[in-house]
Amino acid sequence: MPFHLGEFEQLVLLSLLRLGREGYGVTVRAELLNHARRDVSLGTVYKTLLRLEDKGLVLAHVGEPTPARGGRRKKHYVVTARGRSALQRSMASLRGLSRGLDPVWGAS
Amino acid sequence: MSPLRWLGWVIPRAEREFILGDLEELYGDRPWRLGCEIVRTGSLLRVSRQASLSPLTSHLSPLTRRRSLMSTLSHDVRFALRQLARRPGFSLLAVVTLALGIGATTAIYSVVSPVLFRPLPYPGAERIMTLWERGKDDSESNTGYATFLDIESMSASFESIAAMSSWQPTLQGNGDPERLSGQRVTRGFLSVLGVRPALGRDFSAEENIRGKHFVVILSHGLWQRRFGADPSVLGRQVTFNGIAYTVVGVLPKTFETLLSPGAQIWAPLAYEPSLAWACRTCRHLRAIGRLKEGVTPASAGRELDLISGRLVSEHPTDYSVAGMHLVPLQDRLTRDVRPALLAVLGAVALVLLIACANVSALLLGRAIQREGEFAIRGALGAGKGRVMRLLLTESVLLSLLGGAAGTALAYWGVKGLSALAPAGLPRLSAIGIDGGVLLFTAALSVASGIAFGLVPAFATARPDLFAALRPGGRATGLRSRRLARATLVTGEIALALMLLFGAGLLMRSLHRLLAVDPGFDPAGLLTMEVQTAGPRYQEDDAVRGFFDRASEAVKQIPGVTAAGWTSMLPLGGNFDRYGVRIEGVVLANPANAPSADRYAVTPGYLEAMRIPLQRGRTITAADGTAAPKIVLINQTFAAVAWPNSDPIGAKLQVGGPDRPWWTVVGIMGDVRHTGLDETQAPQIYLPEAQWFSADDAMVLTARTGGDPVQLAGAIRAAIRSVDPTLPILQVATMEEVVSATAQQRRFAFILFEVFAVVALLLAAAGIYGVLSGSVTERTRELGIRSALGASRNGILALVVRQGLTLTLVGLSVGALGSLLLSRFLQRLLFGVGSTDPLTFVGVVAVLMAVALVACWAPAWRATRVSPLEAIRGE
Repeated sequence: MPFHLGEFEQLVLLSLLRLGREGYGVTVRAELLNHARRDVSLGTVYKTLLRLEDKGLVLAHVGEPTPARGGRRKKHYVVTARGRSALQRSMASLRGLSRGLDPVWGAS
Repeated sequence: MSPLRWLGWVIPRAEREFILGDLEELYGDRPWRLGCEIVRTGSLLRVSRQASLSPLTSHLSPLTRRRSLMSTLSHDVRFALRQLARRPGFSLLAVVTLALGIGATTAIYSVVSPVLFRPLPYPGAERIMTLWERGKDDSESNTGYATFLDIESMSASFESIAAMSSWQPTLQGNGDPERLSGQRVTRGFLSVLGVRPALGRDFSAEENIRGKHFVVILSHGLWQRRFGADPSVLGRQVTFNGIAYTVVGVLPKTFETLLSPGAQIWAPLAYEPSLAWACRTCRHLRAIGRLKEGVTPASAGRELDLISGRLVSEHPTDYSVAGMHLVPLQDRLTRDVRPALLAVLGAVALVLLIACANVSALLLGRAIQREGEFAIRGALGAGKGRVMRLLLTESVLLSLLGGAAGTALAYWGVKGLSALAPAGLPRLSAIGIDGGVLLFTAALSVASGIAFGLVPAFATARPDLFAALRPGGRATGLRSRRLARATLVTGEIALALMLLFGAGLLMRSLHRLLAVDPGFDPAGLLTMEVQTAGPRYQEDDAVRGFFDRASEAVKQIPGVTAAGWTSMLPLGGNFDRYGVRIEGVVLANPANAPSADRYAVTPGYLEAMRIPLQRGRTITAADGTAAPKIVLINQTFAAVAWPNSDPIGAKLQVGGPDRPWWTVVGIMGDVRHTGLDETQAPQIYLPEAQWFSADDAMVLTARTGGDPVQLAGAIRAAIRSVDPTLPILQVATMEEVVSATAQQRRFAFILFEVFAVVALLLAAAGIYGVLSGSVTERTRELGIRSALGASRNGILALVVRQGLTLTLVGLSVGALGSLLLSRFLQRLLFGVGSTDPLTFVGVVAVLMAVALVACWAPAWRATRVSPLEAIRGE
């Protein structure tokens, strides 16, 4: 059974796709703030990342420690093939449902 | 980054490093924000992880039984935490109450445990015994050197035994002269204690021979303080009292000198049987021994009795009775403080019980409010055991929180206690909060959590479902619960009465004790000890000359009205008792001769102390070395030895049959010497100048017109003007000296007083809580009563009567308990019986008054119940 993605899950997956190899907690949060106008806490980001990881939609790998982080390592996330297709499915259903609604929006 | 280090645990371990790294990257320059974000992130992640498990339903559902014990437990804990957080006022009250109880108990336990329960800090400490000759009245008496040698050679029970006497040498050179506290010991001393020098060696057999005994072993502290912890001190010559001693050893840092508190230096005793002071009747040595492995104290005691029997038959005139006492060192060291410590431990246990009862009553009141919740749980199938476990989790959690807060309290408490502790308390340095104490506190917390949680748990676990679920209804008719609350409060009152009674008895004892006439006038007296030492004071004339000139100099100070020296100060902790032979009185056994406290005094001492002269004359400057020898006796001595005749003009021999005769010229009033509560012993006063050798340390007593402390500096200066090199010790007002003798009782009393006040407050809170709970429950009834015409006073009386009934029942139970418990205080009491009716009446009156006050507020509230609202509001 395919996964149904929540709205925030979609946003996080999209951010990761935009970030490519640079996706981790801090950058995902910044991406959400800059391009989706969502100011969320790091905890919220991690909560979603962990859930996506549980579902096999993203893959985590541990990077190198940097001094700016007090010598701590980063956990990078990339979108898996399953994640990519799940996201495409959601986007497709969004598009399908919103088709023909322009007059409605225009009226409002 | 420091907040990260200790806050980090809130973040689940698997993600901790990465999240902390991210947060550091984001907020690294704002530590406060960083800390907040760590907590925020952590709680968010932890909550979301468990969100799927839905704690609320898991508790309601019987399916929970399938869960593992640990997972249920962690759910119960989380659920209980939320319950507690929901009612912060209630939780805080409960935690503070428990913290008081647990904290006080922890503090007292940490003081009592190293003294009474933990073994002494020596290897195989249970085999270390003290050896005593049996005195006339079965007392424990010191031993003479000849007797000690016989025991050492005849006994087969001991690995080693040792004799010791106290030694106060003055260290000279290498800085200011300083009088040290130390011991002279025979060779076995360190092996009895099982201690080896950390540096150097023990005394050799040869060094116990007179003339070769000028060697010393230093304590670690002295070695550090005076010798800069220099290992090359071994073999160095150090001067004590003008004589050079060679340092042969330094004891380990961990060595605790329990046999002679404060001792810093040890030298060989170096007695020989031929010495005058090594005789059998020269009983001034203390003896200790280490039992051989497998030898019981009882069998060693029997062997000592046999040896003693032989010695008595060989030397019948040297012993008054046969037999010896063998007392384990730990028992002996703790004997004096044991009654006070046990009494205080008992008192604090009562406080803890009261605190538990109080929280129990609180929880019970709370359980009544949660009746509906429990009924729903029951209806959904939660078993009685499951609900009880939930309630017990809550109470244990409360008590653990209380225990944690209590530990903090205890930490401060212990500091206070150490300062307050009686001077004789051994092992003071070992007192503190350590792992053992913490373990005790944890166990205590869990135990008390279960104890106070059980009553509400039993009373609540199976409510009347139908009644409880009826809208607006209460599970009325639950008499068991009301009874439980009444019992708790009654118990609290009973316990409070017991504590108050104990505190009252101790207070009266203390007053009685301090009202005892010491036989002199302590007000306005200053005392200090001066020790002569060094090559200038080898001759008696030089010593006496110094003390004479010093007292003249002191008398010149304006404000000093009288001054004199004495060889020992009453109540000062010294002990100098001589056998006295009376001319013309022949005793079958000279060992039965009366013994008297000997004071060698200079003219002015008796006047400065204001010891009243009953008859005859006192000592004057005319009673010099060459004048006829005279002695003053106290009235007890006069009454005991001359019941039917006049002692003035009688002749006494002090110290032995070869000594000169002294003529009694005066009778002085009795003076308390060892303690205000001791029976009066015979006493004699001799002119110091007439004793056969000069005392090298004397105590000055100076009477001043006003506050003696004001003149302390001037008096010191006067003594220094005669010789600036001599150490001046133990400067104290006589009032301080007197009050120090009551220290043990004061220690117990202060603690009892504190505990009693806490108990009183808790009991009052208990009465108040139960009554106001009951008034709330009876709102409807009270409203109907007043609608039917009950007067305000009638309703007031109704509620107050309810409270006073509880109080009276509690008081009667407490009266019985007090009678039983106060017997344990017996040894601390003085001048009052353990069933003193006056104290009892006073204490009951106090409790009644407090109970009335506690009743008043709920009763007043009951009169304000509006009949209309009460009936409509249901």
